[in-house]
Amino acid sequence: MRTAVLLGFRLRQEVLEWSGAWWFLLTLVVQAVVAPLIGLFVWSAVYPDDPAIARYYVAVILVTLMTESFEQHTFSERIYNGTLSHELLRPQPVVVGVIGMNLAIRAWLTLLGAPIVLLTGIALQVGFDWWAVVRSTPYLVLAAVLVFLWTFLLSLTAFWTDRVHAVVGFGSQLVFLFGGTAAPIGLLPDGLRRVAEVLPFYGMSGLPAEIAAGTRGGGLLVYQLMWIVGLVGVVMVLWRVGIRRYTAVGS
Amino acid sequence: MTAVEVENLSMSYKAPVRKGGLRAAFGSLVRREYKTVQALDEVSFTIAPGEVAGFIGPNGAGKTTTMKILSGILHPTSGAVQVLGTVPWQRRSAFLKRIAFVRGSQPVGGSQELTVMDSLEYQRLLYDVPRTTFRRTLADLEALLELEPLLERQLRALSLGERMRVGLAMALIYHPEVLFLDEPTIGLDVTAASQIREFVQEYVEQTGATVLLTSHYMADVASLCPRLILIDKGKVQYDGPLAELSARLSPYKLIRISTQGDPSSFGEVVDKADGRWVLRVPRDEVAGTTGRLLQALEVVDLAVEEPPLEKVIDQAYREGLR
Repeated sequence: MRTAVLLGFRLRQEVLEWSGAWWFLLTLVVQAVVAPLIGLFVWSAVYPDDPAIARYYVAVILVTLMTESFEQHTFSERIYNGTLSHELLRPQPVVVGVIGMNLAIRAWLTLLGAPIVLLTGIALQVGFDWWAVVRSTPYLVLAAVLVFLWTFLLSLTAFWTDRVHAVVGFGSQLVFLFGGTAAPIGLLPDGLRRVAEVLPFYGMSGLPAEIAAGTRGGGLLVYQLMWIVGLVGVVMVLWRVGIRRYTAVGS
Repeated sequence: MTAVEVENLSMSYKAPVRKGGLRAAFGSLVRREYKTVQALDEVSFTIAPGEVAGFIGPNGAGKTTTMKILSGILHPTSGAVQVLGTVPWQRRSAFLKRIAFVRGSQPVGGSQELTVMDSLEYQRLLYDVPRTTFRRTLADLEALLELEPLLERQLRALSLGERMRVGLAMALIYHPEVLFLDEPTIGLDVTAASQIREFVQEYVEQTGATVLLTSHYMADVASLCPRLILIDKGKVQYDGPLAELSARLSPYKLIRISTQGDPSSFGEVVDKADGRWVLRVPRDEVAGTTGRLLQALEVVDLAVEEPPLEKVIDQAYREGLR
């Protein structure tokens, strides 16, 4: 309960903090939607008569906006410039602050990106089955958790390297390739598809989008949950080892 | 019973190094070289509850690193530390609610968009301060730190002096028992620095808090800390009363004298202007020299002083302790 109150307060703080940087958030929105838009154009050209393609990619854009994570810019920078010390002094888990900022940025991206999703949907005359959209909600929530855990995990490498952006950039490419943005994973070659279905990236983007688009019924919550449990375990180990290396020299 | 107990505390870390030039830069792509920096080397001391200790030393001596370890931010390489009976770097909530670490260089962390009052309210939630206690403490802090005009201001819009006052208020709103103050008056003007000093003194008197203070301003140390711990190159060089350090480092005292005569034969002249002289005299000859001066000259005023603390500490930093 106390953690929820603290998280709520932190979220409010961060929403306020980021409200002054709406122009910067707009650039993040553009960055987030470019890759799915390219996928949309390419696969719509390949399958011009399949309305599910446009529906799927509009859903991917929305999922991407609602699950984007930037811990390499927020959390890792605090390791580099030593301001993580402020968080370490607070009688609460450091991750509360990280989650608060993550949720605030996602809220802003969703708000600022909503017009793009709406315009794309109208332009391509995309129609959704709203029951399918409702059914995708738990998958979307778990996707948001997965993306956060994945990005946070990679951002923790800032304790070891000053090249965290390259590490997270590589991780984002894996999500792009195997998550269903480069291509719906059903369209990947057989071998790659089988690999993609096992890796966590499909659960971060393609799965909730497919369910919202009505091209899949559901049934993979356990797959997402298992990856969440696994990533939480790795994050906890990495945090414990990494924080021992934190030096904050000269700050 | 001790509030802070530090035993053989050492801290080292690896810093990447390379020679200048393109060849060395390419070489470092294949094989990076590191240098081990010994920030702390077998540091030991204890601080009793309610004691105010000054922790001084030149830049890079290891003061801030020690404070970061004592407040739980850093893990040491070796050694044992107990603050209020707890190992700090375990960062237990109950422990963190009993200490505060205020840095003059970054007095206020967190969201800079918030108003001062919002930030204090966040501290109340974070540290589980009951509303009645919060209101009472806030009223006290408002009076002591002249906070009232700042409460509705955003943190980002505060001046350095105001940020320090707010930083102290945010740290003290939950009544910490141990206070780590790292350069609390850095960058402040004389008045603001003096206000902060008076405030810390008053807080300690009222609450009996234990304080470890670092400062390069000897006025802070002299007015607040009966005990000094001098650290240099990661090692404790001196731990004891301020006056003793002064006596140990400087075998001289200063005699300040106003006279129309010439007292230059009674000691080394350090300064003279308009009939006012300052003589440097060996400590064990002060009484005799004073007597002879009073007999030989028509003295209007005479005072015996310790040499300025800045000079003594500067000497300690440059030459070490004998």
